[in-house]
Parts: sequence; structure tokens; C-alpha cells
Amino acid sequence: MSRRVEQVVVIGRDAAVWLSALAVQRALGRAGAKVRVIEMPSLLTTADVYAAVPSLGGLHRLLGLNEAAVLEAAEGLPVLGQRFVDWGAAPFIHGYDTHGVTLSDIEFTQILTRARGEGLPVPFEDFCLAAAAAKQGRSPVTRAGVSADQPVSVGYHLDARAYVDLLRGAAIQAGVEARAGDVAEVERSGDRVLSVTLTDAEVVQADLFIDASGPAAVLASGAPGPGFESWRSWFGANRLLVASAPRLKPLPAFSQIAAFPAGWVGLHPLKSRTAVVAAFDSRAMSDAQVLQALPGLTGLPLTGEATVEHLHPGMRPAWVGNCIAVGGAAVSLEPLDAVQLHLIHLGLSTLVSLFPTEVEAMPEAAAYNRAIASHVANVRDFQLAHYVLNRRDGEAFWDRARAPELPGGLRARLQLFGARGRVLQGEDESFQPQNWAQILIGHGLIPADPDPAVDAVPAAEQIEKVQGLLRRIAGEVRAMPALDAEFGAA
Amino acid sequence: MRVNKPLEVVIVGGGTAGWMSAAGLLGGLKPGLVRVRLVESDDIGTVGVGEATLPHMRTFNERIGIDEADMMRATNATFKLGIEFRDWGFRGSSYVHPFGVHGHPIGGVGFQHQWTRARLAGQAADIGDYAYAIVASRRNRFEFPSKDLSAINSTYDHAYHFDAGLYARYLRGWCEARGLTRTEGKVREVRLAPETGDVAAIVLESGDVIGGDLFIDCSGFRGLIIGGALNGPFEDWTRWLPCDRALAVPTERSEDFTPFTRSTALEAGWQWRIPLQHRTGNGYVYSSSFISDDEAVTRLMGNLDGAPLAEPKPIRFRSGRRTASWTKNCIAVGLASGFLEPLESTSIYLTQVAVLTLLDLLPRPKVDPALAAAFNRVVDNEYDRVRDFLILHYHANSRDDAELWRHCREMTVPDSLREKMELFVHRGHIAQYRNGLFSPPSWLSVFVGQGMVPTGYHPMADSTPLEAVTAEMEGLRRKISDRVDAMPTHADFVRGYCKGEAPLKAAGGQA
Repeated sequence: MSRRVEQVVVIGRDAAVWLSALAVQRALGRAGAKVRVIEMPSLLTTADVYAAVPSLGGLHRLLGLNEAAVLEAAEGLPVLGQRFVDWGAAPFIHGYDTHGVTLSDIEFTQILTRARGEGLPVPFEDFCLAAAAAKQGRSPVTRAGVSADQPVSVGYHLDARAYVDLLRGAAIQAGVEARAGDVAEVERSGDRVLSVTLTDAEVVQADLFIDASGPAAVLASGAPGPGFESWRSWFGANRLLVASAPRLKPLPAFSQIAAFPAGWVGLHPLKSRTAVVAAFDSRAMSDAQVLQALPGLTGLPLTGEATVEHLHPGMRPAWVGNCIAVGGAAVSLEPLDAVQLHLIHLGLSTLVSLFPTEVEAMPEAAAYNRAIASHVANVRDFQLAHYVLNRRDGEAFWDRARAPELPGGLRARLQLFGARGRVLQGEDESFQPQNWAQILIGHGLIPADPDPAVDAVPAAEQIEKVQGLLRRIAGEVRAMPALDAEFGAA
Repeated sequence: MRVNKPLEVVIVGGGTAGWMSAAGLLGGLKPGLVRVRLVESDDIGTVGVGEATLPHMRTFNERIGIDEADMMRATNATFKLGIEFRDWGFRGSSYVHPFGVHGHPIGGVGFQHQWTRARLAGQAADIGDYAYAIVASRRNRFEFPSKDLSAINSTYDHAYHFDAGLYARYLRGWCEARGLTRTEGKVREVRLAPETGDVAAIVLESGDVIGGDLFIDCSGFRGLIIGGALNGPFEDWTRWLPCDRALAVPTERSEDFTPFTRSTALEAGWQWRIPLQHRTGNGYVYSSSFISDDEAVTRLMGNLDGAPLAEPKPIRFRSGRRTASWTKNCIAVGLASGFLEPLESTSIYLTQVAVLTLLDLLPRPKVDPALAAAFNRVVDNEYDRVRDFLILHYHANSRDDAELWRHCREMTVPDSLREKMELFVHRGHIAQYRNGLFSPPSWLSVFVGQGMVPTGYHPMADSTPLEAVTAEMEGLRRKISDRVDAMPTHADFVRGYCKGEAPLKAAGGQA
């Protein structure tokens, strides 16, 4: 074996830099890896928020972070889903954590498709425990932490700055060495990064570089190769706004994602404020117009600072030579469906499983890039499904959003679901079939015809089972504490 | 409840594929959804090479409600723990691809990483010594795996060897007992609906016209409907899998009653050996570019471990698959949908996948093309995965005694396979996928068995001291060996569980 990878330098900022450093330190520190962080100036404001799907809990466990401590430190709330409003169909909640339910050996979506076709007035979300609990402002997590037998796992709203402070502390405590700095110059040989010169002239060398600098991609953007692939033809929003509003009373157990003529605006409740995030198209409304419209759109006054930055969805090959881009440096997506931290998580778990064995040759790069590209395409398609199914007719932004030539995988998914209400799982999926079913039905893609197997179940049996399921869910929801009672005090 | 007319399904062709399709539709669906009719001719022989199965077959049996011991008795079946490959990587080599795992993760990394690390330090035994199914195979032992998942003898799985002709007959009886209509006859013509191009009916030589909503083409290699009437294209994989012929010959049951299939690489292909209760199935799969038919017969007949019970039966094939197994209202199942040589016993598995996927995506009388597209995605993926795994056996060899092996070593393999091999050699990495065969233990056994050993391993392996790792590995090796010694022999177990027909004797042979 040739020389092993020992010196790992992570350059970047905010959650990506510290999650990366901590993950590599925890996984490979005992095997001899030395992790050093060059922390670039933060781009976060007091208004920023991280909304995360429940997989973040798994990452926290791997990183040795205590759930209650994370929620406590980061103004955090354990939430269960996202409520979509004004996308054209009736409002609905997408509950993050879903379990496949079968009745009489038939997937529940099939039964419900038939029942709704025959006039059952109960909305689909009522059959999803996470969505049903969210609707009633309940969440299984108490202030003291997660109960062991919780029936549904939770997503997170975290104050971004406070969360980053917590991660920084944990990384340093775990043995990561760190300094503040910024990149002046990158020296390369072929596809490899030889060294990075910082603005104060320190020259940083490493066996492996991790670029966690966000969309700036200070190392990865200069790498040879195909470069950044733009997804602008699918995602029309090019501006991302963050701001704050007063805290909601009582605290809801979900984020609300409301469409408006130029894009969407998300309300993410935190313990003592509400984070407001909007993605929109500057061709439809200017920054100033959106800022002015927000109080009307959200019903809340804005407080504190508000910033708007450029948004450009797309991705680049994450691993080139000896440099791996993680998070926003590799993939840029809208902060919809609470996937921001999940994209970092995907990069890190794939990196840990393919951590390079030697300095001179890293054939892992191709496999890593293929895995990430495949995962990310599925996440992207999930976001895209919201857009293409919108029914805001007569608004240029939304009319365009329905029009594009779809990626093949999404087209096939929509066709199969539209025909039969089925979602076939491919490789590298972040969202489960039930997540897809919730948003597709929520946005109004109703299957034409359920599985013929449903015909063979007597109507009385179907009604009884559907009611039984509703009763069970209602009982489980009642057993959960009200989110506001646990986290809203003070 | 809405009352719909049942789907009228016409299965064309008996054999394993036809009867598995029929049994799946009858046993795997709620009553009243389909009406199944099967057309076959006793004059048309079936191929019936697929006498060895994969553990997945148990899922199929459970889904449709077939009793294992009953089926095994009726088909003179035996148990299978894996496949032994002789002379594949190089002359004189032998390894087993087991239905089970090698060791268990140690220190947060897969077993193969620690094994490689210990091996590089000169402290590892053969990788097969850490796999329960392999050790049991080597000693001709069998019993069912323990249900206690912490027990060492829970770390394997089992499949069957059976007489495919008897299996088709068994399923026929099972289906007829459940109301299936079987029609004896040969198909003279396939009628298409002029406006849609769908299959409207088949016409038999008797003049009978049989219409239906959905036609399942189980007519074997020729693909009577899918390839004939619908003229569906076929993707040819001969450039990677050069074998195109086979000879099959049964022999008397051997004393060596193995709980595994044996595959022995020969100069122009490979020979199979499948132990059944009443006989042993044998055959030579070869490439006509590298050996003549006569030479192949001589080679096979001179390399048997029992007296032959019949003349060798020739079979011709072409490796590859239909571009669209489900086209219009016709689904090709079995050999009509594609062919991959039985090197990894995948024929019946691929049929099973097609049948279960059909149950899962059962159409209405007017077939929605979205269902066909989804079905084809599932089936294509399965074929492609198996293809890569088969190519690996041919490609990773260091035999220098025959042209076929030099050819295969030098051929360009699909990128998907090349990348897998590269990462395995570089660091023992094996990707796990959600859909399709094979799982990492299968890849591991074949990589290492064919002579590809990792030169590196996952760096996390070094987090655990080497002495602790080698001590754990040695403990595991002993535990497996001791527990296997307590198992009954395969012959005893079969006799007690599912005794079938008495062994056949060759004409003129002495009992």
C-alpha cells in the first residue's frame, strides 16, 4: 500500500464545514486521520434557519450529539412536516416520517384511491401519523429529549448561527484543529490540489481537501472537468431571501410553504422567532417588491435584518482529484422539503464509506460522484414535482414551472403514479414511496385507477379498516404532547 | 364494492415459465381478479435446464402457498447452499459462492476489510473458512438455518435443486386443482387488433380461436408472440457471454451427494452438475466458436461421475434480453424474455421476478402503458445486474490453456462492472444495491474466488487493533467448524424431510 491519507483539511463555512470536520474526525480519527478546519467568514445572518428532515437525527447520533442539547442550544423545534398552501390545490401537509401501511395485504394508497373515488371525504394527510400530529400541533419529542418508543421521528427547525456554534464546539472538543481564514489562491497539478494559500499568506497542504464553502466552491469551482451543471430550466427562482418574524402562538409543528406569484415563502417556527425564507424569480418580482409583500403574504411583520442572495440550482462533480466538495459547494438546491442539511449528510455518509485509502490514487471518486449524482437527482425530482404539479394558472412564473421537459425518472414516476398510484423505489432514494404519494396526491395528481386487488376486498371490510386506521392514528396523536406546551413557554 | 370483469389471461407455453406464471396468478392474487388459460403442446419439449434455484424461490412458494416438503418430494429435490466453482479463476482452483455471509463486521467495517488487513499481515485463513454455508458445503452437511439470529448457524440460506420437468408437472397439478383451464394444442397464428396493434387472439392448429386481455408469452427461445407477431427487438450480449450451446445429460445418482451445485470450467465453457434424489443432472455450456459439437459431446461424456441415463440433449441459445419484455398487452416470461446461461442459477429467479412484478402491477383489461414501462424497468435492471455478475466469472481468469479464456480475459467489459472490479481490488469495496441481484457476499466470494484479492482496505479498519481482529476471526472460524460438525449429512436430511423417487439406474447397469 502506498502512503495513507492522514492530513485532511476542510475549508469552508457554516454547518457544512463543521459537520464535515466532525464526521471525518469521528470516523477516522482513531485510524490516524488528522483533521484541520480553515473556517471562512460566515454567510449566515441572525435570520437564517436550517430546516431538516428526520435523517438529521441519525447524523447527530453518529456525531455524538445529544438531541435535547441540540434543540436547546439552537432555538430548535422538533417538527413533523411541511404544509403546502396556495400551490393550486387545497392545502395539505407532507409528513416527513411515513410508514407503509397495508390493509388486507394491499398498499393503503390503493384502498384510499378507491375510497376517495367513491366519495370518502377524509383527506389523505389524515392517514399519515406525522401529518395528522403536525396538523394538531403535536410532536412526540419533549423538552427533555426524545422518548425511546416514539411512534414517528421528527424533523428540525434550528437557528442556523446557534447550530453552527454548537457544531464548532463539538468538533473542537473531538480534536479537530481549526483557524479562521480565507482562500487567496489554489495551486493545482492536473486534477489535484497541491496547496491552498490563505489571505494571510499561510500555505496549507493536505492529503485530502474538503470544500465546504457553499455555492462559492472556492476549491471545487476551479477544478478541471465538466464543471457546474445548471438546473435553471427546471427551477425558475433565482433569489433567496431570509428574514425573521415574531414567534407564532401556539407554535405549529410544521413549516408552512406558501406559493405566491413569484415563487414561494416558507415560515419556519423556532422557539422565539419565526424564520422566513422565500425563493422567487426576480423577473416576476424585485427584491424590494417581495420584501414589501411579505407581511401581507405571511400575515406577520418582519423584524430584524433581511438579506437576499443569488440562487442557482445545479451541481458539479463533487470529487475531483484529491478534493471533495460537500453540501452547497457540490449541490445547490432550493431550501424546499428541508433538504439543505440532508445534502451535506448524503455527502458525508458516502465519503465515510468511500474514504480514500491512499494519497496517490483515488479511484473512489467516480463511484462517489455517481452515487451522489443519483441521490441528488431523486431529491431534485422531489422538489421539482411540487413545481410541475402547481395549478396557479395564468401567472407567468407558475405557468413556466408546469411546462418544462422533465427528467426521465420523474416523468416515469408521475406517469406510473397517475395511472396506478404506485411509486417504484429505485436506488439512492431519500424520500420513501409514502412521501411521494403524499405530495403527489396533495398537489392533485390522483391515480386514475387503483390496483384491481382492491376490487376483491369487500367495501364493508375496507370501510372498517380505514376507520380503524383513523382511530389508531387519532389515539397515537392524542398521546403526544402539544409542541407549544413543551417548547413554547417563556 | 365495484364489480369488475376478471382479467382474461392467456399463457402460451407450459414449461417452468408457463406454469410458474399460472401458479403465480392463481395463488398470488385474491380470487376473482383473473381468469387464466394455459395453452401448451405435449409435442413441444421444454428446455428444463434450470434445475438449480436461488433462495428467493422460497418467497415465491410462500406467496402462492406451496408447501416446501411437498414440492421437494414431488420433484426429487435436494438442498442447495451455494455453487462450487472449479477451475474458474485458474486450473486447480475451487471456491464456493455461498447463500450466506462471510464473517460479520468488525470495528465498524465489513468483514472483507479486516480479512484483507489480516491477510496482508499473513494472519488470515481462506475466506471460505469464515462462511458457514461454505464450510457446511465442503462437508456435505445440511439442516435448516436457526431462527435465532444470534446463532452462528443462522448466517446462511438455502435453495433447491429439482427436476424442472417434474416441477412443471407439479405446478400443473396444483393449478388444475384450482380451476385452471389447460388447452392442449399448438399455436398456428397470432392475431393482432388492426387499430391498436395489441394481441387480439391466438389461433390453434385445431382452428380454435382464443382471445384474451393479456397474453403471457412463455413459448421459450423463439418468443412466438413477443418476437414473432410483435417483432420486439432483442439485445444481444454474445460479445460478453460467448457461450451459445449446451448439452444436457442425466447420470445415476452419485455417492457424492452435495448440498451445492458444481460448475467446472472446461476449455470452451463450463460443465454443470446438479445432484437430485433420483439422478444427477449434468451439462456442458459451450461456445461454438471454440469447440465443435462432437468434441463437446466427447468432453462431457468423458467427464461424468456416474453412468449416463440418456443421450446428451443439445440446446442452442443466444445471451441477451428483449428490449421490452412487456409490449402492448403481451408479457414475455422466461426464455421468451431473455436468456442468461445458468451459471448462477438465475433462470427461475428471473421468471419469478417477472411473475411477482406482474402481480404487483396487474393491469386492467385495457393495459395502461405506464404499467408496462414500470415492469420493464424492474425486469431490465434484474437482467443487467445478473449479466455483469456472469461476465465477472468469465473475465477475471488467469487460465492460459484455452482460447476462450484468453478471449474473455481480454474483452472489454461493461463500465458498470469495470468500476466494481477496480474498487474491489483497490480497497475491497462492494456496493450494495436495493434492487436486483447480487448482494455483497456473492460478489465477495466470486471476486476472491476468481483470484482478485484486494490490495487495500477501508482505512477505518485500523481503528481496531490487529490482534483483536485476528483473535475474533479465529474464534469465528472455530465456532463455524464446530457447529457444522454437529449437522446431519445432506443425504440423511433429505431422506428424512422429503424422500422422493428411488435412484434411477442406467439400462443394463447392475443395481
